[in-house]
Amino acid sequence: MDDAERLIDVQQVTRRFPRCVALAGVSFSVNRGETVALLGPNGSGKTTTLRIAAGGLAPSTGSVRIAGFDTLTQWMDVRRRIGYLPEQVPLYPEMRVVDYLRFRGKLHGLRGTRLAGRLRDCMDQCGLGDASRRIIGTLSRGYRQRTGLADCLLHRPDVLLLDEPTSGLDPGQSQSVRDVLRDLGRHCAILFSTHILTEAEDLCQRVVVLTAGRLAAADSPEGLRETYATRTLEEAYLRLTTLPPLVRNPTARSSE
Amino acid sequence: MKAFLTLLRREISAYFHTSMAYVAGIFFLLVTGMSFWVLITQLARDPAGGHLTGVLFGSDWFWLAMLLAPPLLTMRLFAGENRQGTLEVLMSAPITETQVVLAKFFGAFFLFLLLWLPTVAYGPLLRGSGADVSTLVWGPVASGYLGAALVGACFIALGLLCSLLATHQISAAMASLASAGILVAPGLLGVQPPKGLPDGLVQFLSSPQNMQDFAAGVIDTRAVVGYLGATLLLLFVAIRILEARRLRG
Repeated sequence: MDDAERLIDVQQVTRRFPRCVALAGVSFSVNRGETVALLGPNGSGKTTTLRIAAGGLAPSTGSVRIAGFDTLTQWMDVRRRIGYLPEQVPLYPEMRVVDYLRFRGKLHGLRGTRLAGRLRDCMDQCGLGDASRRIIGTLSRGYRQRTGLADCLLHRPDVLLLDEPTSGLDPGQSQSVRDVLRDLGRHCAILFSTHILTEAEDLCQRVVVLTAGRLAAADSPEGLRETYATRTLEEAYLRLTTLPPLVRNPTARSSE
Repeated sequence: MKAFLTLLRREISAYFHTSMAYVAGIFFLLVTGMSFWVLITQLARDPAGGHLTGVLFGSDWFWLAMLLAPPLLTMRLFAGENRQGTLEVLMSAPITETQVVLAKFFGAFFLFLLLWLPTVAYGPLLRGSGADVSTLVWGPVASGYLGAALVGACFIALGLLCSLLATHQISAAMASLASAGILVAPGLLGVQPPKGLPDGLVQFLSSPQNMQDFAAGVIDTRAVVGYLGATLLLLFVAIRILEARRLRG
């Protein structure tokens, strides 16, 4: 893949908070047509990575480029190209699903028949047809997740950044979200965090494993299984996240 | 501009989808109703004496409405969005901080003006009741409304900034009320500002005195520039704080 196809480029990103270092010199990239899972224990820096990639949080050092645009200095170009779904799916509870999506579409510059078409397509794609007139505050977690996902897709972004997109969903809902992601992953770059390793194995060409803010591994699920001589990704993940940092993966790019 | 209008429409509709507009509306009607009652009492006692607009735009009830309505209208603007996490999603759309701050400000200001709308009926109501309203002159009424709008805009910008800095809606409302109170209390309580303050600042800090001038039909350009300048400055600070959060996280 050449550089033009590199849609997410995280370079030596460190993020310090007053009481902790959430990320320490993390580097990885995601190309067009690639779906990459961010794995790691709670507090390992997955959400921070996604927030920095979405431009909602600035890195202390290092840079993130989305489709070649720097998230810090070219944030408007970045915002036009991303669809971002935070973990808690924050939506306006007083709005109807269709009104919320229309509002979000308009913010992305969609108008008239183009907006109506995208609304119809995204609601169909995310299984929201029967909930379009419902008040968001009355929706179940699953429908809120679908609404957030539909919002991400409205403007046909090049990059999808999703924080635990299937968390809290029942198996059927999770499967339908995975189907949507699999379909989108053919022409977008998708970076999503998850604790469900079978989901990562099912959807992703590569996984990025973070532990305590450091990059522990960035490889394909098969590659990780081979490297750690395990039968499943789960076993490899457990070895990665329980071994001391220096022996986890000597090939992983990490500055610290 | 289209994104701004989209944001503005959402801000205004959000007031009506929650109880806030109705709570603020009922409260405002009650308090301005008390102001109207004071006006009627004044007319019954001394139909020809005093200037009625001074009662309408200068009573304690008027200041109660002016102090409490802006915090009610602005407390949720950023503090509520921050708490729900919706601000992060909102700011992931291709919009600027300026558009967001201005849309929230004008949304709240529109609601504030809407709250004043029923008071327009006071004049015709008085006339209809057969009261002597010869001292109720339209020029001072108009400048009184202008003064109320200017002071309101300033207090709303102050409330918006407090909402941006606070983590909780209630603390935003308290901070907004306290800081607006500083501008009003000296004038209402008759406390002299400390010596050595610049004249312009003393003028600005005397909101009740300024309102008395507006209600008397005197449009003092220092007061107009002062309130407009303070409003713009507060909005500018809010925009810069929001930008700084993006740049520093």
